[in-house]
Amino acid sequence: MTAAATGDGRVEAGGATRYAGTRIGRVEDPRLLTGRGTYVDDIRLPGMLHAVFVRSPVARGRILGIDASAALALPGVRHVFTAADLNPDVREQWHTSVGPKSPETPRPPLADTDVRFVGDPVALVLADDRYLAEDAAELVEVDYEQLPAVVDYTRAAQAQELVHEAHGSNVVGQLAGRPAATLADVFAGAAHVVTDTIHQQAHTAVPMEGRGMVVDYSASTGELTIHAATQAPHEIRLFCSRLLGLPEHRIRVLMRDTGGGFGQKVMVQRDEMALMLVARRAGAPVKWVEDRRENLLAAGMSRHEHADVSMAFDPDGLILAASIDFVSDCGAYPTPWPVGTSAAVGMLFPGPYRVPAASFTATTVYTNTAGRVAYRGPWQFETLAREVLLDNAAREMGMDPAELRRRNLLRTDELPFANPNGMTYDRITPLETFEQALEMLDYDAFRAEQARAREAGRYLGVGMSTYVEPSTPGYGSYATEAATIRIEPSGKVNVYIAGGSTGNSIETTVVQLTADVLGVAIEDVATIQGDTAVTGFGAGTAGSRSGSMTAGAVRDTATILRERMIAIAAHKLEAAPEDIELVRSRASVRGVPGASVTVAELAATAYFDPYSLPPGVPAGLEASARYTAETRSVWVNAAHVCTCEVDPVTGGVTLLRYIVSEDCGPMINPSVVEGQIAGGTVQGIGGALLEHLAYDEDGNPTATTFVDYLLPTATDVPVIEYGHIETMSGGPGGYKGVGEGGAIGAPPAVVNAVADALAPFGARITRLPLTPESLAALVPPEALR
Amino acid sequence: MKPAAFDYHAPGTVEEAVALLAELGDDAKVLAGGQSLIPMLALRLTAFDHLVDVCRIPELQGVQQRDGGVRIGAAVRHAQVGTSPEVAAAAPLLTLATPLVGHFQIRNRGTLGGAIAHADPAAEYPAAALALDATMDIASPTGRRTLTAQEFFTDLWTTAMEPDEMLVGVTFPAWGGRSGFAVEEFARRHGDYAIAGAEVAVELDETDRVRRCAIGLVALGPTPERPREAEAELVGRPVSEIDPAEVGRLAMAGLTAVTSDGNGSADYRRRVGAAMVARAWTRAVADASTEGAA
Repeated sequence: MTAAATGDGRVEAGGATRYAGTRIGRVEDPRLLTGRGTYVDDIRLPGMLHAVFVRSPVARGRILGIDASAALALPGVRHVFTAADLNPDVREQWHTSVGPKSPETPRPPLADTDVRFVGDPVALVLADDRYLAEDAAELVEVDYEQLPAVVDYTRAAQAQELVHEAHGSNVVGQLAGRPAATLADVFAGAAHVVTDTIHQQAHTAVPMEGRGMVVDYSASTGELTIHAATQAPHEIRLFCSRLLGLPEHRIRVLMRDTGGGFGQKVMVQRDEMALMLVARRAGAPVKWVEDRRENLLAAGMSRHEHADVSMAFDPDGLILAASIDFVSDCGAYPTPWPVGTSAAVGMLFPGPYRVPAASFTATTVYTNTAGRVAYRGPWQFETLAREVLLDNAAREMGMDPAELRRRNLLRTDELPFANPNGMTYDRITPLETFEQALEMLDYDAFRAEQARAREAGRYLGVGMSTYVEPSTPGYGSYATEAATIRIEPSGKVNVYIAGGSTGNSIETTVVQLTADVLGVAIEDVATIQGDTAVTGFGAGTAGSRSGSMTAGAVRDTATILRERMIAIAAHKLEAAPEDIELVRSRASVRGVPGASVTVAELAATAYFDPYSLPPGVPAGLEASARYTAETRSVWVNAAHVCTCEVDPVTGGVTLLRYIVSEDCGPMINPSVVEGQIAGGTVQGIGGALLEHLAYDEDGNPTATTFVDYLLPTATDVPVIEYGHIETMSGGPGGYKGVGEGGAIGAPPAVVNAVADALAPFGARITRLPLTPESLAALVPPEALR
Repeated sequence: MKPAAFDYHAPGTVEEAVALLAELGDDAKVLAGGQSLIPMLALRLTAFDHLVDVCRIPELQGVQQRDGGVRIGAAVRHAQVGTSPEVAAAAPLLTLATPLVGHFQIRNRGTLGGAIAHADPAAEYPAAALALDATMDIASPTGRRTLTAQEFFTDLWTTAMEPDEMLVGVTFPAWGGRSGFAVEEFARRHGDYAIAGAEVAVELDETDRVRRCAIGLVALGPTPERPREAEAELVGRPVSEIDPAEVGRLAMAGLTAVTSDGNGSADYRRRVGAAMVARAWTRAVADASTEGAA
């Protein structure tokens, strides 16, 4: 099939005209690139008060007393709320995707008797402006009895001190797969066994915009309006209705632009509960905008974990068994209950490889640190651990790491393939993406360059990783997505989806998809998202679901209207419906030049001349439909290949090339896909090399500004090169989720590249982040000439 | 991250500024670009009732050639220092160091005087001032005085200036003849404070021996450091017989107070520092050698 781009970005192929698949410029760009997005801090309401939290300076302690009198005496300070004021208002407190029966950690919105991490919200100050509120927060006297803190999660299970005394243990939960003992014979009889303990440091989403909320309660109407930085406006509404006991339909949640979420803004946390609780008590709208320090203190921690991992191989390097014992730090207030996600690490550890047998355990523990929250690819550790282990195995076996993977990666003729933990992969291309990425690099040429460089005293390395992940969860509250489409009387189209722009370009892709199904010009389509008053329930941006689920909602809804338009056009043009084609907002009779009618004319008829409609066609051109996922998940896979140079003296790492070959099915918009991959990859690079949400031994956070929490900048990241393999999923359009993968594949590719560069020194890397000092320590001074 | 309230003063002359400082005492702080002070205020790590913004004082502006060197007003922005032909001619080390100061937004606001008066040992300009034997023009309500860089930097973020004194300008003597300059730093990311850095100036005589050299060390002690014993050992030696690695070792040998922090232990900083000195030495010598072979 040949395809040619047209002036407005469509692809004309075989007579059909499509916007999907093209690099249409983003709908969001004009407002975002000119600095005219609307974020929570851009909301200004008359009489609005500004909220600042008083946060615990100690990691574990008892609150002996709170004296807010000095703060309240400050002119312009309106309220100081404590747990005693707000917490009794809580009716129910559970997240929709988790349900009411989950064994959740009790979450007092404001700390009541105990504080459990530095940053724990203790009181909420409302004042006329943010400056005054911060002045007042400094004047709130909280008397703490400081207690020894549980900081080192690897010792938390045995610690005398308990983070949550009522829980009776610092172990949140444990899940396991097949017992390791049942694989003992396989390991004992294997030609090669490789074992490592791999550690990942705490780091987290760090969105450009922190969390934030404006709550605006009207006592006269009983209506609550919430403007939120969120990935899930409908979840905020539902959660808030349960929390306050307000009927859901009296709450309206709005979000226009959100400056990134990456998992941190999927679920309502304690600070946001406190805002909801003050809404009815403040007597005025209240704004809280989390600043950077708060975001690093209290918005949550991710990725802090380690595992003992082993693999057994036959003499040819074929994997016989894989085993992982995983332990993760969940901080004081994990959101949500973390045990299920930790099990995913075990279940997915075999990855896209032909692994015949596997065992796992997954243990989650409490500590007196910021609570664990979702972060782009929450089970990412399975890929990190497996891919680092595979490289170490290759080195031990004297085998090329690409060859070792090649021998074990699943081939498409083996699909569907059930991994030993019962995950059945299908419609993936592990080997194809891997080979494409290596070819883009010219792997053999790089190895030759590496050899020449080593002779010249320079240390280059190449690292690779592959993964398969379940995107687009198709169960519970995630299983459906709704769209309402209105072709207005003028023929212009509005698409209403739950959506909301958190940087995933869902406005653009929705417009593309709708224009294609309706056969209208893309400039005739707009979308309204992120307003619970006018959109149907949607679970929001999570689990790489927005594109693939919304595609189903748009398809199902637009198809209703398309059929209706064709019926009206056929009636008007006195043609058979099957002879009507819809192209660029015009319905024509195929093969009859001049026999056509515009969508605007169809709409005018539908709204203003209902008696001219064909029998059985309702007036108006409005439809709503709800798509239900057909599978529990949509598998998506990719391969990452990275090259680097390491300075053996300083331990400094320079990334040279970064290649991603991914299979997310057909791309609705390749620029959006590549943007998602790039963002995730850069976060993964940051996690491997720079980012560390560190605490000292007393539980004091040591990275509370961007001076100490190091994000990768443009100068730290090479141009990312993309390869695409497009295998249809079973879902609408064959689309798959692509939001999280970059962050999953990148860390092990970087670690493996660095380890490869330092292989001449016998280096083995098992602990992140790869700080320059930690790398320099792998190169003894005497090795440097 | 909003600062506590303060009064903002923008005096028009040095005399007005030092009079304000004398009057307000410990409640006042000089604001000279604000690239360190303002974040500290916003994080409420410190607070002052009065900020005295000296950036609008005419006497603190401008770059002038003076006595074969270059005199830079204290309120001259990093970006101006980095692009000044006068600076490039007389003190190329400053020109080379400037791109390593933070990011361009910081260099558009930050001032040379602010950076030197802040006296951060991990900053680029203090080490350059020390290496190049710069002199500091200082004003107080009772008059003016001049301090050498060696006298000026006394401890971590601490200078020999009194609370009612302010830095007016800094004069950098020019290096003539066959001189070469180089700056090498290692930081976690571009624009971060260095883990260790070296700013090297070297002058060769007509027989390719070291006539003089100066090494400014960044982030290797509580103040900018200068390994004068190492410099003395190198003077007079044929440059071709000097192993750059030896220069690095010599430069680290006399350091007694290398700091450890989250970005690096003292031992690691010495390792990096030695490498930065060696690399800067190599490049400075190459730069000097292009000034015409003997």
